[in-house]
Amino acid sequence: MFSKAKILTLLFAVSFIFMAACDGGSSGSDSGPGPNPNPNPNQEELIQNILDDYVDGVVVGTYGLLQDRAAALREACETLEADRTQQNLDAAKAAWISARIPWEQSESWLFGPVDFRGHDPALDSWPVNRTDLDAVLASGNALTPEFVRNLDPTLKGFHTAEYLLFAFSIDQLGDREFEYLIAVVTDIELTATELLNDWIAGPEPFGDIMKTAGSNSVFPSQVSALEQIIEGMSVILDEVANGKIAEPFDNQDVEAVESQFSFNSRADFADDIRGVLYSYTGDQPLLGINGTGIDELVAETDPDLSARVENEINDAIDAILAIPQPFRDAILDPNAADDIVAAQEACVKVFNTLNGEVLPVIRQ
Amino acid sequence: MYKTDETGPGIFRRLFYIFVLCALCPVFFLASCDGGDSSDALPEPEPTAEPVRAGGDTSVYNRTSFAFEVPASNLSEESLIKHLNGDITFGDVFVTPPAPRNPGLGPLFNNVSCESCHIKDGRGQPVFGNTGLRSHGLIRISDPEGTPLVPGGNRPVEGLGEQIQDHATFGFTPEGEVFLDWEEVPGTYPDGTPYSLRRPIVEVILANGEPLPDHIERSLRLPPPVIGLGLLEAISEETILERADPDDADGDGISGRPNMVWDTVTSNFELGRFGHKASSHSLREQAVKAYFEDMGVTNPDLPGEDPEPDIDEETVELTTFYTQTLAVPLRLDTDDPDVPAGERIFNDIGCEQCHRSVIRTGTHELPELSDQLIQPFTDLLLHDMGEGSPTTGRTTRQTGWNGERRRSGL
Repeated sequence: MFSKAKILTLLFAVSFIFMAACDGGSSGSDSGPGPNPNPNPNQEELIQNILDDYVDGVVVGTYGLLQDRAAALREACETLEADRTQQNLDAAKAAWISARIPWEQSESWLFGPVDFRGHDPALDSWPVNRTDLDAVLASGNALTPEFVRNLDPTLKGFHTAEYLLFAFSIDQLGDREFEYLIAVVTDIELTATELLNDWIAGPEPFGDIMKTAGSNSVFPSQVSALEQIIEGMSVILDEVANGKIAEPFDNQDVEAVESQFSFNSRADFADDIRGVLYSYTGDQPLLGINGTGIDELVAETDPDLSARVENEINDAIDAILAIPQPFRDAILDPNAADDIVAAQEACVKVFNTLNGEVLPVIRQ
Repeated sequence: MYKTDETGPGIFRRLFYIFVLCALCPVFFLASCDGGDSSDALPEPEPTAEPVRAGGDTSVYNRTSFAFEVPASNLSEESLIKHLNGDITFGDVFVTPPAPRNPGLGPLFNNVSCESCHIKDGRGQPVFGNTGLRSHGLIRISDPEGTPLVPGGNRPVEGLGEQIQDHATFGFTPEGEVFLDWEEVPGTYPDGTPYSLRRPIVEVILANGEPLPDHIERSLRLPPPVIGLGLLEAISEETILERADPDDADGDGISGRPNMVWDTVTSNFELGRFGHKASSHSLREQAVKAYFEDMGVTNPDLPGEDPEPDIDEETVELTTFYTQTLAVPLRLDTDDPDVPAGERIFNDIGCEQCHRSVIRTGTHELPELSDQLIQPFTDLLLHDMGEGSPTTGRTTRQTGWNGERRRSGL
C-alpha cells in the first residue's frame, strides 16, 4: 500500500527552505526573512492589476457563477418536486454537479468572508449527519429554509443536497424529502449570495480591502496580498494531496471519500486545482475572463519559472483526471494505486515550486 | 435576539470587564492586574547570545491568514507524518451516532470539531447560537456552594455540569441559550488621550426559560490560538515556578500563582499550564476534556457511560500531537523602528514580568520541543485581574502567543 511518507518527504524539504530564509533575517531578537514590504515602484502598477483582476475576475467572477448555479440548482429541484420524474431527477443531479464546479474552484481562496463568516461549513460540511437527518424527516417540523438555516452545518449544504439527490431513487423521495431538499438548496443559494456580497457590497467589501493592499491593516503591503493568494493556492494543493486523496486512500476507507454519493470526487479535485491555476493566471475561462495574473509578475524575473509553474499545475490536473473513475472504487483497486500516487505527487510538486521558488520571487 | 441582563447577576458584567482589554491594550492590562504597581527598577529580559525567535526552531515565516496552520519547521519526517495525520483528526467533524464516519457528537455539545472553534488553528470569535459560525465561545460555570468533583477542582452546577452546552443533536434540548452584546467603556490615558473599549455583556437563558441563577459563577471563554502549545508543555516546572510569587513577597505588585490541578490518572496534583485558568496540566488532558465537554465525544480518558468510547487512543494521541507541533509564526516587521520602540516600552512598564518574553524550554519527549529559546509572552501562572477579571475568581492565565496582527480581518 502506498505510504504517505513519500509525498511528505517533499513537503519536508520545503520546510527547510522556510527555515533557511528565517535564519537569514534575524536581528538579535526574531524576525521574518525581511521581504521587501513594498514592491519596486515599477511593479506597483502590475501588482495592482494582478490584485484587481484576481478580485474582480477570479474571485468575484467565480462566486457570481456559484450564485447563478446555486439558483439553477434550486430551480431544478423545484421542477423535480413539481414533476417527480427520473428525467427531472437527472437534471437536478446535473445542476448539483454544475454548481459544485465554481465552489470547488473557489477553494483555492478559503480565506476572507468564506472563512470568518462561516460560509464554508454552511456550504460544504462533511460528513452528512444522516442520523439527525432521518430524525428531522421523521419529525413534525415544517422544513422551511429558515428551519434548515438554524440546523448544524452537517445537516445542510452541498453534501446533504447530494445525499438526497444521489443516494435516493426517484421512488424513495417522498414529500418530506422534497420539502427538505428545497429548503437545503434554497439555503445554499442564500449563502452563495451572502458570500458574493461580502466581497462586493456592504460598508467594507472584502474585495476592496484586498485591492487596496498596502493602505490597510489587513494587507499592509501589496506583496502581503500576493502572499495570501499563493498561500491559499498552497493550502488547497496540500489538502487535495494529503487530505482529500490521502485520507481515504491510505486508510482504504470509502466512507472518507468526499462527494461519494455523486461519484464526483475526481471532478472536485480537478476543479480544486483549476482554482489554483486561475489564481495564478488571473483567468476564469468559464466566464471568458483573461486577466493579469501572478504569472506575469514572475515572468518579469524568471520567464522559465513562470511557464513551468503553469505547466506543473496543468500536469496536476491531468494526473488527477487520470485516476480511474470512480475515485471511491479506485482507492480500493491496486491497479489504480500508481495513478493516485502520481496525482498526489503532481500536487505536491506545484506546492513545492510555489513555496520554494515563486514566493522568493514575489518577495524580491 | 439579545435579551438584556436586567434579571441577571450584577457581578456578571464585572466578570467580563477587561476580557478584551488584555489582548488589545498592554498598558491598560498592566494597570488593571496585580495592583499595577509598576516599579522603576524592573528587570530586563535576560540578554542571550543566540537569536531569540518566537518559537525557537519551530518558527516559520508566514504573515497570511494561514500562518497558524503550519507544522513546526524542525519536525522529523516521522513527526511530520504524525502531525499531518493529527491535522485530519483535529479537523474531523463529528455527527450523531450511529454513523459510518465520525460518530459520537453530543447529545449536548458546543461545536462539532476542534477546528470549528479554533478557526485556522487560531482564536475563535465571540459568537454564539445558530449563525453560520455557530458557537465559538462557551460559558464555564461554577456553583460556589457545590462540591468539587476532584480535590481543588471546579464546583459543577447541579444538572448543568461545568459549562453551558448550547447545542444539541436533533431531538435533544440544549442546556441553554447564550446572548452576547457589547457596550463601549470610555476612558483616558495618562497623557489625556481618550480611548473606548468594548465590554462583553453575556446572558444565559436556560432550557426552562429562566436566566442562570445569580449565585452561579460564570465565565466567558474564547478558543485561543493553538500554536506553540507543545513548547509551553516543554517548559520545566522549575522555570515556571521561579517567577511564582503568590503572596507578592517581593512587593512588586505582581503575584503570579502556580495552579496545581488534580490528575485523575495519577491521583496527584500537577502544575496546571493550559486553559484560561491553567486548569489542565497537559495537552492530552486539554484535548480529552475538549472532546468530552465541547463536543460530547467520549474517549479513553473520559469514557462517560459509553461501553466503548467514541474515539480511540490513536485519535487522542494524534490530536494531542497536532496541538504540540504547530509552528509559531515569527514576529513581523521587526525592522520597523516602532517595533523595538514598543518592545522597550513593553519591558519598561513591566509587561514582561508576566508576559515573559524569553524562556528556554526543558526536556520534552519530543526532541523538537526540547531546549528551545522562545518568546511565549506568558509565564503560565495565574494572575489577579481584579474585579474585572474575565474568569471566575479574579485570576487568569495569559494565553501567550496571540497573533493579534494576523487576526485583523482575515
